[in-house]
Formats: sequence, structure tokens, C-alpha cells
Amino acid sequence: MQFEMKNVSKVYQASEENKVYGAKNINLTIKSGEFSALVGPSGSGKTTLLNLIAGLILPTEGTLSHGGKDITSFSLEERTQHRLDYMGFIFQDYQLLPVLTAAENIEFPLQLKNIDQKEIKERVLWALKQVGLENMGHRFPRQLSGGQQQRVSIARAISTRPQLILADEPTANLDSKTASDIIELFKKLNQEFHLTFVFSTHDQRLIDQVRTVMYIKDAQITETRINNNV
Amino acid sequence: MTNKLFLLKFSYRNLWRFPKRTFIMLASLVIGTGFIIWNLNFSESGSKEMMKKFLAQYQGRYHITHSKYYDVENRKLFNNYKTITDEDISDKTLFTTTSRRVTAPVFASGQSKTLGILLTGLDVVQETKICSLYKMIRGGRFLEPQGHREIVLGKRLAERINVKLGDEVAVIGQAIDGSIANDLLKVVGFLDLGGGDLEESLAFTQISTAQDLMVLQPETYHQRVSFDMEHETYPDLKGVAVTSWREILPEISVSVHFIDRFTWLISIIIMVVISLGLSNTLMITFFEREQEFQSLNIIGAKTSWITTSLMIELLLLGTIAVIFGDILGFIFTWICNIHPVDISLFTGGKSIIMGGMVMQPTVRLYSVPKYYWQVPVMIFFFLGLTMIYPMIRVIRRSKNAI
Repeated sequence: MQFEMKNVSKVYQASEENKVYGAKNINLTIKSGEFSALVGPSGSGKTTLLNLIAGLILPTEGTLSHGGKDITSFSLEERTQHRLDYMGFIFQDYQLLPVLTAAENIEFPLQLKNIDQKEIKERVLWALKQVGLENMGHRFPRQLSGGQQQRVSIARAISTRPQLILADEPTANLDSKTASDIIELFKKLNQEFHLTFVFSTHDQRLIDQVRTVMYIKDAQITETRINNNV
Repeated sequence: MTNKLFLLKFSYRNLWRFPKRTFIMLASLVIGTGFIIWNLNFSESGSKEMMKKFLAQYQGRYHITHSKYYDVENRKLFNNYKTITDEDISDKTLFTTTSRRVTAPVFASGQSKTLGILLTGLDVVQETKICSLYKMIRGGRFLEPQGHREIVLGKRLAERINVKLGDEVAVIGQAIDGSIANDLLKVVGFLDLGGGDLEESLAFTQISTAQDLMVLQPETYHQRVSFDMEHETYPDLKGVAVTSWREILPEISVSVHFIDRFTWLISIIIMVVISLGLSNTLMITFFEREQEFQSLNIIGAKTSWITTSLMIELLLLGTIAVIFGDILGFIFTWICNIHPVDISLFTGGKSIIMGGMVMQPTVRLYSVPKYYWQVPVMIFFFLGLTMIYPMIRVIRRSKNAI
């Protein structure tokens, strides 16, 4: 499923005179299996773009479509359901639910989808295996290191078999070694399962590993580079 | 179903996420529920128990009379010429739970004074079965069933007219045929009615003596008084009037009603105070989790799912609280059943006098089943109110972007 943005602008309007652009005339296509990053300084509009892709906010102008469906025409609840059905999310600060174990955190979006209990178990085990935490499913987030928590977050994102995974600064809170391991994990998931990744990042190690880098400045994509070595 | 169980597990664990905070909320709700139940039981037991004891002494729960015996506007007034017989009462089963009485307003003369009193003729056998008046005797004895022309007086009345046991009291009144009714009655006992006004205005004799005095036929009387204290229902009888104690003693009835309502008011105020505290704690708890609610929404949880999980949390909190609150209320009440509460503690050691008679100073509490569901309903109502503002804020904030 391909994601497309056509002539998308997002204006945050504090007053008639005071218009702030979060995104300005963006045209963007994310193909299936893409491994790409949105790169830019703080306040450039990376997170706004990620929010627009996720359908968390709607554009002031332009259209968003995913798999041919016009997301801008969806209601709030329909957009939530769309995220659940087709998207996975990885957060900078993991955002695991502290009252649930690692396995239950992974189970969470599957329960929301009302999937059969047997299949949920299989998918949780599969996701834990992919992130290398087969024996840690019973642990609560507080019993895991930062890197392990991010792995659980990744497992939660992939458990629903999404078309698109959005990751907001996924390596920002990790030490160098752990960050490298996590980047390798992203690459593996992209290559083995053809999962589409869009990162918002400052991390040069991650930028070096993605195929498409979109540089953002003042709410506009100023440059798109293709890394043919990846 | 699976999803619902997961939701329940998620909500239950979130409830205990901040154990100390939850424990404090639970404690305030449990103690509040327990106290409110105890308080309502105390009010109901207190008023009912006291009223039962009070009514069982003399007044009775209801009177069956001629339809024009009591004045409709003021039931303190009665028409002595209006009498009934057993033939007038269609429900004969009432004869076992009621007692016949003849009432005669008379002047009673002793050694030094004459006072206006109400002389009541009693069916002694029946009265000693169903009424506790005979237990109030503090000097001499109660009336003999087979005796005639005997009188027992209130202690204060005896003192005021200066008579002793064995003396004769002259009673003078008006018979229903218009003649002067007069007789000499022998004092056989004194009644201790707690020193209230009734103690100096009541005297009792055998019903046959009162009938002779009033020139009534042996089958004729003024009242059949019921002492069935376990029920609040009244018989529906044609041709005669059934007058409840609430109509005869409206000032006492109003007092009891006021105490009941006031207790509910106090209970609601207690609940409002607890709710304000709870609301504050809930707001803090929910606001601390706002970012989490946003993340849940981003992952795919609809706002309705998030709010449902919060409502289940509160429902679980309320359910645990009312279960333990009910148990606590029951235990408090049970303790006060075994060890009755001395209400003189609340009156500075002074007696409570109602309707001219002294109320029993101790109250044995008993559980009133309706409060064990009415109070929980009230708790859930206030919990619902408590949740409105935090929930609105959660709904607004959970829709925000990353």
C-alpha cells in the first residue's frame, strides 16, 4: 500500500496575522517496503509531517491517501481504526503501558483488533522472537532496560502486521551500542518482512542506514536523497 | 469477550497503579459508606425502637373507633358519646391483637386536691398480653382482671392529689346519658411514666368499672387499640375509623420524620465532602496519565475504549468500596445491637420526653436492609458526578497528536 501526500499544507493559526506553517505545500510518496527518514532541525516540521501521515491531524490544504483511500475524508474514529489496521508506532520514550507485561503490551493492539485469542498468542510470540526477547515476555516495563523497552515497542508496532511503521526519534533515548542494535533490527524487519518504515530522526547513524532521506526546513521538504548503497 | 476480559484486567491493574492513592480513596469511601449506613440504621432503629417502646407503653399503633370519635381537624379532641361494639368490626382476627378501652375525662379527688384527668378503662387480661403498661408499675400492683373499682395512677398525679396505696379516689364526670357519673375507686398501684406530663393526667381502671361509671353497656367501648408494632400497615375497615398514632400524635410523627430526613441530609453532605476529595485525587491520577491516553489513541484505542477503561476503574473502586463499606456498616450496627447505644450521652444525661412520656434511654441498633443498597446507589451516583470533569478532559486530551 502506497502513501501519498499531495500539495499538503498545515497552518497553525494563532491569529489572523500570525500564521505558522507546520507543513507547506508538501508532495510526498511512500512506497511499500520503503525505508526512509524525515530529517531536519527542531521545529522544522518533522513531527507535523509524521502526525499528518498518521492521520492524527488533518491538513489545512491538500489530500492524504493511503492505499487509495482519502484519509482526510475519514472521521476521527475512522482515522483511529485506520491506524490500528494499517500502521504501527514507535515512540522516542517507548510509551509502554506500565501495568502490562511486555507480552501484554504487544498483545494490546491485537486485543483492540478483536483477533482470535490463539492467533494473538502466536503473534505475540512471533513479535517477541523478532526483537530477541523471547524469554522476557513476562517482565513489566520497569524490569527492562531502555533498549529492551524499545524492542518491546517495536514488537508491539509489528505485531499487527502493519503496512506502515512510523517511528518518532526511536534511537534518541538509547546509548550508542543499543541504538546500533535497534537500527540493525529495523533493517532486518524491513528486509525480511518488507515492512515500510518512516523515521523522524536526528541520529546520523540511522540516517546513514535509510534508503530515502527527506530533508525538511521551514515546513518544506527541501531535498530528497536516495542512498543507493542501502 | 476476550477484549472485554483484557479491558477488565487493564482497568483493574490501573486501579492499583498507585496503591497508596487507591488505598486512601478506598478507605475514605469504605469508612464513609460504613458510617452512613450505621448512621441511617441508628436513626431508623433509634426512632423506630423508641417509638415502638413508647407506643407499646400506652398509646398503641392505631385505634379503631367510631368514625366520629376523633375530631378530624384535631385528634386530640374526642367525642365520648361515640362508642362501638365488636359487632361493628368486620375483621374478627383483630380481636387478638387489639384491646378494648373506655375513656372517661373525669375529675379525680384525693386528700388535698381535685384534678382533671383521663380515666381509661382497660381489658386487663388483654392489656397485660399485648401492652407493656403493667410493667410501669412502681408501687403496689397492676389492676386485677377479676377486680372491680380499682385504680392505678401516675406517680406524679398521686403526689399532687395526695393519695397513698389503699386510699380511695373520688372520680366525678359525665355519663353518656347526661347524668353525673361518680364513684369511689381504691388505689392499688402507681405508674412510673418517667415523670412526664402524662404521669399526672392518666389513671386506669378495669373496663367494667369505667363502663359502669359512664353508663355504658358491657359490650360497648370507645377504642380498640392495636399494639402490633412490627408492621406499618393498617386494616381497611368499613363503618369504623382506623386512626394511626401519626394522626393522634402528629408532633411526634413530624419529629421522627425530621430526624430521618436530617440524617439523609447529613449523609449526603458527608458524601459530597468525600466526593470533592475523590474528585481531586482522580483528576491528579488521570492528568498524570494524559500522555498515556494520547499514546493509546495513536496506537489505535478509540476514545470510547479509553473512557470505558476509566469508567471500569471507577466502577471497580466503587464496587470494592461499597462491599467493604456495607460489611463495615453491618459490623458497626451489629456491635451496637449487642451493646446498645446510651442516647443520654447525646442529651447531657437528661431524659428525652415525647408526648408526655419518657423515651427509653438506650437504643439497640438493627440493620435496615434497604440501606445496604440505597447507600451504594448513592455512592455510585456521587462517583459518577466526581468523574464528569476528569472524563471530559481525558476525552479532549486523548485526541491530541504526538
